[in-house]
Amino acid sequence: MKMLSVRDLSVVFGGVRALSEVSFEVAEGEIIGVIGPNGAGKTTLLNTISGLSRASQGEIHLAGSRITGRRPTEIAALGLGRTFQLSQLFPGMTVLENVMTGLHLRTRASALAAAFRTRGMRAEEEEAAAKAWQALAYVGMERFAHRPGTELSFGQQRIVEIARTLIGEPKLVLLDEPAVGLSLTRVAELDGLLRRIRDERGVTLVMIEHVVRLVMDVCDRVVVLNYGMKIAEGAPEEVTSDAQVIAAYLGSGFDAARRSS
Amino acid sequence: MRLAFGSRQFLALLFLGLALLPWVANPYILYVSNLAMLYIILALGLNMLVGYAGQFALANAAMFGIGAYGTGLLEVRLGLPYLLAAPGGAVLAMLIGTAITFPALRLSGIYLALSTLAFAMFSQWVLLHWYSVTYGGGGFRVPHLDLSPLPIGPDLGIYYLSWAVTIVLVVLAWALVRSRIGRAFVAIRDGEVAAQSLGIDLLRYKALAFALSGFYAGVAGALYTPLLGYISPEGFDLFQMIIQKSMIVVGGMGSILGSVIGATVMVAVLELLRQFKSTQEIVFGSILIAFVLFRPRGIVTLLRRLPGWEEPLSSFDRRRYVVTAPSSPAAATGLARAAAEPTRGEGR
Amino acid sequence: MMMFGYLLATGITTGALYALVALGITVVYKATRAVNFAHGDLFMICGFIAYSFHVMWGMPYVLSLVLAVTAGFVIGALAERIAFRPLMEESLVSVLLATIGLSFVLKGVARGIWGGKGDFIPFPPLVSSTPMSFGGILVMPQQLIVLAGAVAVMLLFAAFFKFTRLGKMMQATADNQKAAKLVGIRTGRVYMYTFAVGTSVAGAAAVLMAPITLLYPDIGFVLFIKSFAAAVLGGLTSIPGAVVGGFLIGLIEAFSGGYISTNLQDVSSYIVIMLVLIFLPQGLFGGRSLRKV
Repeated sequence: MKMLSVRDLSVVFGGVRALSEVSFEVAEGEIIGVIGPNGAGKTTLLNTISGLSRASQGEIHLAGSRITGRRPTEIAALGLGRTFQLSQLFPGMTVLENVMTGLHLRTRASALAAAFRTRGMRAEEEEAAAKAWQALAYVGMERFAHRPGTELSFGQQRIVEIARTLIGEPKLVLLDEPAVGLSLTRVAELDGLLRRIRDERGVTLVMIEHVVRLVMDVCDRVVVLNYGMKIAEGAPEEVTSDAQVIAAYLGSGFDAARRSS
Repeated sequence: MRLAFGSRQFLALLFLGLALLPWVANPYILYVSNLAMLYIILALGLNMLVGYAGQFALANAAMFGIGAYGTGLLEVRLGLPYLLAAPGGAVLAMLIGTAITFPALRLSGIYLALSTLAFAMFSQWVLLHWYSVTYGGGGFRVPHLDLSPLPIGPDLGIYYLSWAVTIVLVVLAWALVRSRIGRAFVAIRDGEVAAQSLGIDLLRYKALAFALSGFYAGVAGALYTPLLGYISPEGFDLFQMIIQKSMIVVGGMGSILGSVIGATVMVAVLELLRQFKSTQEIVFGSILIAFVLFRPRGIVTLLRRLPGWEEPLSSFDRRRYVVTAPSSPAAATGLARAAAEPTRGEGR
Repeated sequence: MMMFGYLLATGITTGALYALVALGITVVYKATRAVNFAHGDLFMICGFIAYSFHVMWGMPYVLSLVLAVTAGFVIGALAERIAFRPLMEESLVSVLLATIGLSFVLKGVARGIWGGKGDFIPFPPLVSSTPMSFGGILVMPQQLIVLAGAVAVMLLFAAFFKFTRLGKMMQATADNQKAAKLVGIRTGRVYMYTFAVGTSVAGAAAVLMAPITLLYPDIGFVLFIKSFAAAVLGGLTSIPGAVVGGFLIGLIEAFSGGYISTNLQDVSSYIVIMLVLIFLPQGLFGGRSLRKV
């Protein structure tokens, strides 16, 4: 089944073409890497899929439903999760509360039920806490459960963000550079975590990543963007030996990074 | 070892003290305490909107006025008894608060500030000029509170009515912020983009925050009417705005307890300087600047340093979720750790 | 026609006032992306300082103007150091709250020193008070002087940005803070000067207007809201926009007051700004959308 299909997607910001006619498809259970030099339009692509930026042209379908032009909230309700390049943990909450917020769409209590603390609301709250704890344990972060999110390192915050997204049981998760700020050992752990998320939870992943090793290891396929256009797509090994891709990266050290990895 | 004293006990003691106050205090102290309770309600509503949901709106004084005028006019113009007029005034403030701010919901930051400020000025103007309804700048008298057949006079009547209503509203606000609703508010305040991608509907929760703060301000207005016995537009002007803002800043933005403390402290300051308008302005302005600069999260941060003091945004039983066994070195670095059951401590 | 002419003259004169105050709001916003809620009260304080020099101590009008503008420069710089700069890195809400606090402090100070002395600043005697007629439109000579003064200040202001080193630095900082820092501009200092210059313009406006408008401690915040509205009307980042927005608000007030109801004069600008924010959120000249993406 097609989990995500992007067809002829173009995004124009005030005359600047951030994306032009990008098409690709993601099958259920795949892990797809999106790579490309800075300013290639990778984040714009994720933003447009999640509804934060407006598509000027083209169509996006998520698990069969058309999501082009819908609001981010609706798209989230259809099963799209998202993490951000700059960590977006809510600083005013503890780590556990952050993860509980990820259950927003899976909990029901109305403002009145919450204000009067009905029995249903309390049961739901306990269940949410238990689930959040499990999600934190799943990513190995339960030690920080009661700390404010801001006390964590950026790398840790990003892992908590993954837990916060996973808890809402999304079908597809978009990850924007999950490995930034992680040490090499941590990258290896992240590698394992992403595979487990796919294998055990059946979540499809699309990630932007600069850490070449991670892309080579976990991604089934890679989409390469340059100047807002898709210049290559295929298995990681194929794509990284593609002449056009190497040309796009010249000067940004991709070749060197590849050799060292 | 946790201390048994926290926000809850603090509030219980405060309201117990307020319940006993009429036996020891003179009428003036009683009036000021009553006023403090109304400001607690105002600060709670404003704090949910500004402190929790992060919406910098400036129309709260206007909602206060609409609640007071709504109540008073329903009594005087339509002859409704107070106990019917008061909920009417409160609901009116909630409705207008939500309706008028609806366009404002699409705005953020300073544009929201400007549009709500313009609305506040507009409503002040309506109170002054719609003479045939509002009696204009001179204001009007409202009847004494009559709670018969209860054997209680108007002064004590409004005191205990305010006391009961304030407790209820503190408890409700407390429960609200410690639920998924409160977490949605804070999520919107701390990161609209991330909140949206978790499926939190910005419009809906902003509207809810506006409705709640409108309702709280309206209730405070409804109680203000019989307390003063007299209503005029002056009570709901720009100075009212800074009074309320400074309360939540001094007490603590994003804290229910902070709203209570801030309101109490600032009413005391307000009354001490009653005679001198210019000194009031200078003192309130300076306090606001000083707190924003030096203690931006308010007095409540001092209390939070006490061991065992908590004000979480979730109402589950925390004691059940503690990592008890020290993690093995492998687990300590392990992102890839197997799912663990919550560690059950000594439950209730 | 008489009525129209009168309203036009009044609208343009008050519009000039709003434009001058809106200029200060706009330059500060351009530089810092925050609004100084005390801007109107800085205007009011400058007006009272001029009042003290001119009326209480008998100095010449022009000298008082110069002194008030200088005082505005100093007070503006101080205000930036106290209530703005320490909070630049914090949230927008803290900046707004601090400037609201400052606005009330200034108001209280003015009430304490000059309270109850609200008055006009008399013009030098060379201006006669007999109205002059231009094609049937009666204009008070005072209004002409005010307008000429306002235009002079605006031109000076534009020249300042165009030709002086400091003005260019401000422009650069407003356009791109990071780049300005990279080329060695001390942006903190530029912010301070931005405040100072904005307040001087407000000070000049206060001294120009005080012969026509009554001066009283509460004038500041009301004037601030209307000028803020004018600045938003002009897009909030455009200096010509702020000027046009100011004149528009002034004319709308004059005509709604004259043709619909006198009572409407005060409130029309609030209604207009609410409508603009709902239906025209880009303002008239701003490129940037007010709505969050």
